[in-house]
Amino acid sequence: MNQVKIIKRKKYFAAGILCILVFVLALFASSMFPGKTSSAKQEFIVGFDAEFPPYGYMDENGEYTGFDLDLAAEVCKRRDWTLVKRPVIWDSKDSELETGAISCIWNGFTMNGRESQYTWSTPYVDNSQVVITRKDSGIMKLSDLSGKVLAVQADSSALAALEGYDATDENKALAASLKDLQQVENYNSAFMNLESGMVDAIAMDIGVAAYQLSAKDDTFLMLDEKLSSEEYGIGFKLGNTELRDEVQLTLLEMLEDGTFDNIVKKWGLEDSACLSKEDTTYIDGSQVPVPGSSKKNNESASNADSSTVQASGGAKVKKLGITEIIKQLSSGITATISVFVLTLLFAMPLGLVIAAVRMSRFKILEWIAKIYISIMRGTPLMLQLLVVFFAPYYVFRISMPYSYRFYATIIGFSLNYAAYFAEIYRSGIQGIPQGQREAAQIMGYSKGQTFFRIIFPQMVKRVLPPVTNEIITLVKDTSLAFVLSYTEMFTLAKQIAAGQTSLFPLFVAGVFYYVFNFIVAFVMEGIEKRLDYYR
Amino acid sequence: MSVLELENIKKSFGSKVVLQDITLKVDEGEVVSIIGPSGSGKSTLLRCATFLEHIDNGAITYTGQKVVAKSAQGAVYPSKKEIQRACANFGLVFQNFNLFPHFSVLKNIADAPIVIQKRNKVEVYKEVRELLQKVGIGDKENSYPCELSGGQQQRVAIARALALHPKMLYFDEPTSALDPEITAEILRVMKELAAEKMTMVIVTHEIDFAKAVSDRVVFMDGGMVVEEGTPEEVISNPKNERTKTFLTKLSV
Repeated sequence: MNQVKIIKRKKYFAAGILCILVFVLALFASSMFPGKTSSAKQEFIVGFDAEFPPYGYMDENGEYTGFDLDLAAEVCKRRDWTLVKRPVIWDSKDSELETGAISCIWNGFTMNGRESQYTWSTPYVDNSQVVITRKDSGIMKLSDLSGKVLAVQADSSALAALEGYDATDENKALAASLKDLQQVENYNSAFMNLESGMVDAIAMDIGVAAYQLSAKDDTFLMLDEKLSSEEYGIGFKLGNTELRDEVQLTLLEMLEDGTFDNIVKKWGLEDSACLSKEDTTYIDGSQVPVPGSSKKNNESASNADSSTVQASGGAKVKKLGITEIIKQLSSGITATISVFVLTLLFAMPLGLVIAAVRMSRFKILEWIAKIYISIMRGTPLMLQLLVVFFAPYYVFRISMPYSYRFYATIIGFSLNYAAYFAEIYRSGIQGIPQGQREAAQIMGYSKGQTFFRIIFPQMVKRVLPPVTNEIITLVKDTSLAFVLSYTEMFTLAKQIAAGQTSLFPLFVAGVFYYVFNFIVAFVMEGIEKRLDYYR
Repeated sequence: MSVLELENIKKSFGSKVVLQDITLKVDEGEVVSIIGPSGSGKSTLLRCATFLEHIDNGAITYTGQKVVAKSAQGAVYPSKKEIQRACANFGLVFQNFNLFPHFSVLKNIADAPIVIQKRNKVEVYKEVRELLQKVGIGDKENSYPCELSGGQQQRVAIARALALHPKMLYFDEPTSALDPEITAEILRVMKELAAEKMTMVIVTHEIDFAKAVSDRVVFMDGGMVVEEGTPEEVISNPKNERTKTFLTKLSV
């Protein structure tokens, strides 16, 4: 009776594992072949920071939108290109451009100070760096900032205006008079810092400031004095003048037939838009092509009427309810779960191999495993992800397709977690009494049979608690995939938070992680109970 | 015919000599008890004979087939496969049982005959149930080791060794982890085996048992065989001073 019951239970267990496996494979397949849009059209891949409203951000429908993306969409329509909107993390934008993962950086991209690093379009937005403070702070002019804490986004124009090599003497003096110049990751956190009084002011682009203020006009104040004035351009890979000219020409056509102005009005940027056909030379000195020399001109002019652009008088923050936030997060949840499941699928067996090598009788192998584990545990996972992602290009000069981002994430996570699992397995294996192996040896079990029939099953029981810890950590670590601009749930939450100018989406994400981990802990406890039949 | 022949076994751990020069022959159907104080090398001798330890020099022969040969450079071991084959000659019952905790009693005993010896499953199960009856725990086949008492576990260990049809059995202090009244039960099982002419080498502290069941008693001390003979000779009328001292200490 008992025997039958156990066999039955085992069958259920096997069926459960099979189900999970099928689910994982389905996930994997769906992520490998996204929708099969096999159009032969040229792809125009716009790289942008999805937390930079109103130029590029996630709107209340979960779509990437913004002034720059609207412009890009119109250009692509006229050129008959396929527009790909690709959010990138700002720190790695140059590598993304270099490897060809994006065609251009088009995202409120300041030309000043970067003149010789990219092949630029002519300027299309006149942007100023402004200072935002709390209304009740008493800071009314720039000189009031002396002794205060000022926040800027890392690697931003505001930072360059204050401390860059071409910063004005006044700004340098201002920066020197500050108590601290704090660099923050994104504007949303800058505003949270400001609201909570951790910083006294934020220096930022006027367009972004206006968007933020549209949501929090009663709390914050924009100083009339400006730090600096600068221009936005579209940045192409240095030397890619051909693509630059095509885009420039199309923009000038849009300017001519009024489409450009419509888009400007839609986003309320009338004060700063500055695209002009008077600019006849690029910043690098070469000639701007003249509209009309293009044979596509007539065709595109007629397109202008059918343009869907409507003037609406500026971007406003539209607040989302919790269900809408959850709905938008759901696509990220799939990504998070794929990273989680695939990492476990690869890291757990790989850990066993590494543990075996680590316990090898051959000193060289043992040392290789030791060094591997030491590096994987001793360096930040975030850095390892970047190495896995960029190594093919920077080391071997191989340009990887966009989908490699996903694989790099899985590879990086698996390699890292395998090291931890290896050590857990090793402790589990070494904790099994030597007598078990000796008994097996005398009874004639081979080394392999001893491992798989005697040692491994006992190890599994022993390592369950530490493995559960590791798995729970992995659930939360998946958010690190953002460094490869792989849009998993937390990245998405940050983007929504930026568009919403609120922390709330991050809390929703937190609840998701909690629920996810609750389920993981529940399942692991179930497995532990299942193995409770022996001690 | 001798089942086991140990010739000039030498073994050291580092600079400590554990076995000096041991020669021991065990004939079919013979029951040999090895007694001696702790650290005398009796357990090490057993581990060497069962290939759990490598000897430094000497020869080990099972049923007339030389497995380990002696040479001027030290002991010559054959391939792992050969060792594995030689292991089929004997079974070993450990002091602390070493049952597989994740296997039921039935599987503990039946796994090796089915997986290693590739014997018919139905026949093996039938035989295992007979063995369990024989060692007195016929109702425990579905229990797990953790659910059994020490005495019951040791019976399973004995049944597990027997199920592989060895030519001889080694017992390494089989009762020293057990309570006295349970010890008696295990010794009864072993006596039955002796009566069935099972060849056995028993390392034990149970002098009375050794006296009752053995054909021959070996007294070891300091890595050497000090005295060897029938139980009457060694236990009842020891000639050597060290044997006498040891036996007196035990009887107090």
